[in-house]
Amino acid sequence: MINVQGMTKKYGKLLANDDITLSVASGELAVLLGPNGAGKSTLIKSICGLLRYQGAITIGGYDNHTIEAKKLLGYVPEYPVLYPLLTVAEHLEFIAKAYRLEAWEERAEELLRRFELDDKKKKLGKELSKGMQQKVSVCCALLPQPRAVIFDEPLVGLDPHGIRELKTVIADLRDSGCALFISTHMIESMEENWDVTYIMVRGRIERVCRRVELESGQSLEDLYFKITEGNGREETR
Amino acid sequence: MNSLVFVLVRSAKNSLLEILRKPAKLALWIFIVVMIGGFFILSLFTGQKADSFQDIIWLKGLLFGFILIFVIIAVKKGLSNGDVIFDMNDVNLLFVSPVNPRLILLYGIIRMAKMAFWTGFFILFQSQSLGTNFGLGFDGILLVFLGFILAVGLLQVISLLIYSLTNGKPARKMAVRMMAVAAFLPLAAYLAVRFAESGNILTALESALRSPVSSWTPVAGWAAECAVALISGNLGSGLLFFGMILLTGALFMVYIALSNPDYYEDVLVASETAFEKKRLLSESQVNTEAHSTKKIRLTQTGISGWGANTLFYKHLRESFRANRLGLWGGTSFFIAGGAVLASFLLRNSGMLVLLQILMWIQIYLIGTGRGLRELYMHYLYLIPEDSFTKIIWSNLEIVLKVLVESLFVFTLSGLIMREDPLLVAAVIIVYTLFSFLLLGINYLFLRWTGADISEGILILIYTLAVGLIMLPGLVAAIVIANFLGEGGILIGLTTLALWELLAGLVCFAWSKGILHRCDMPVLKAGKQ
Repeated sequence: MINVQGMTKKYGKLLANDDITLSVASGELAVLLGPNGAGKSTLIKSICGLLRYQGAITIGGYDNHTIEAKKLLGYVPEYPVLYPLLTVAEHLEFIAKAYRLEAWEERAEELLRRFELDDKKKKLGKELSKGMQQKVSVCCALLPQPRAVIFDEPLVGLDPHGIRELKTVIADLRDSGCALFISTHMIESMEENWDVTYIMVRGRIERVCRRVELESGQSLEDLYFKITEGNGREETR
Repeated sequence: MNSLVFVLVRSAKNSLLEILRKPAKLALWIFIVVMIGGFFILSLFTGQKADSFQDIIWLKGLLFGFILIFVIIAVKKGLSNGDVIFDMNDVNLLFVSPVNPRLILLYGIIRMAKMAFWTGFFILFQSQSLGTNFGLGFDGILLVFLGFILAVGLLQVISLLIYSLTNGKPARKMAVRMMAVAAFLPLAAYLAVRFAESGNILTALESALRSPVSSWTPVAGWAAECAVALISGNLGSGLLFFGMILLTGALFMVYIALSNPDYYEDVLVASETAFEKKRLLSESQVNTEAHSTKKIRLTQTGISGWGANTLFYKHLRESFRANRLGLWGGTSFFIAGGAVLASFLLRNSGMLVLLQILMWIQIYLIGTGRGLRELYMHYLYLIPEDSFTKIIWSNLEIVLKVLVESLFVFTLSGLIMREDPLLVAAVIIVYTLFSFLLLGINYLFLRWTGADISEGILILIYTLAVGLIMLPGLVAAIVIANFLGEGGILIGLTTLALWELLAGLVCFAWSKGILHRCDMPVLKAGKQ
């Protein structure tokens, strides 16, 4: 569903992403790990078509800049950016109408209920705490029922209930056949559900690991520290 | 003390090294130095021109009015958070260090002077219109620049003083409000009496401006009188008010330092608020309403539209929520009020000077449209619609706003000035198409730079670019108007309008694909 082929991104002389190749299939949860400054957010923004890059990125077989690709894609940014003068309900209405969604109201209600926002529908964007804004941001991304969803640090700022609910939503999305690509520093939060992990260091993918490839007793966290603190670099697939 | 000198010197040194490393910044600084140096050198060899449209007393009026806006802003800031004189890095590192707080305050005030300088820098770009209208030479323009910087610097200190004295004390806040109004009461009373006597607002205004009452009105009157007296060669009066501004500033600073050595809490709120704004900007939240504490009443809810045009209806909903009159915001009233006042003042020189002034203001206001702000957020890029359609619908709100404002403002001014309706119509077209060109230039800039330079530098380069792009149209319009004589002005304006349209289209064509082929811009709002 999500395909990145030989993607390189430079900021002036700084090589932020160096020849990245990865793919996330439908019904697969891919986790993107890496230390600060590794280039994770740059990669995610490039996949979403927010940055210029060299290489090829497709969503469901369509170039990521096409209207067809945008219809398939949902994006939850690192920092939730809401319109300060729109209410929570109007954010969802805006997305629904801009995306030309039919019969969206019930789905919107369900999303708001799951994230405990149903009593805050008339709150303005600027009146919400950062955690609440993050929840609205997730609802906006999921309302069009995308077939591929990209999350950039989705759990930061959420309260325990929000974290639990989002983890459930992520699991449900994966079960429904959605391709998920999640960047996070909260490794333990992904331990239960991940299928494949990409570990980035200094703009390159240092290791691709599928769950079945883990050694007995080894956790995702162990793997991460082995790669980022150890010396052994393995070939990227 | 050594540590503060070290911070100042090292910061200056690092800034210089950064400029040397970046050719664009270096070129810009060379331009700034050459411009100021050039003004200074030219001022040694030139004097005031004998022939001018207006009496210099109206320059005093303009300066007074302009500084008055800053007086209002300073008092309002002082009553809320105070002015920002420290960054959060100062708060986190200096405030906890064993350095004398009074010296830290002095350090903050020295750095604050830099902001006053940049605030007044635009005056140097007004040399042509100030020369034409008031016969000002380069020395006169430098004096206006100096008077303005002094006034803004003093107002920053006053803002800090007000905050320090009134923080958490509602009774004192009320007293400051009353004192601020009382400071302008003598002038208002004088103006009212003169108006009652003459029955003519212009005569009353002129009389008020010539009277000592206006000169002695705090800050705005002092600075305006200082600049105009020095320009007119009245050294005694000029130096008196110059000294008064300096002395008042110095006394207030000494008072703040001596009376309140524990001022950290007073400046902390302003520093934190400014830091929070910068943080939000760096996280793509460019809507200033996000950090406004203004209470919004929800009367109507919901968003109309389908597909890309939802952006336009969303902007309308946001605008009507921000202001009760929707497209008529605070700036619209400011422009309309200023235009009416200017129409009375400029009755002899005509509509074209007003057009010129409003076009200058529009250069800086066009960026406040919601369409351009939309580029800094991800929604616009991800909506599955055609890019060009999205940009058109996204900018319709600001174009409508400019059209509504120009119809109102120029029709009213035309009536006051008793101008030919055809000329008024031509001016409206030139003004509205100028907004189209400015939008085009904005998109072009974002396409080229990705907004990857600091805001101040961006505005300077952008102002220069607008001037350069407008130049061929302006030259053609002036040549045609002069060549054809009486009726040439209309044809000249039409030529200018056509040039704006053409140049705007070229800019849009060059910036085509901004949603596809360049990085989503991130606003650089200075260091955090």
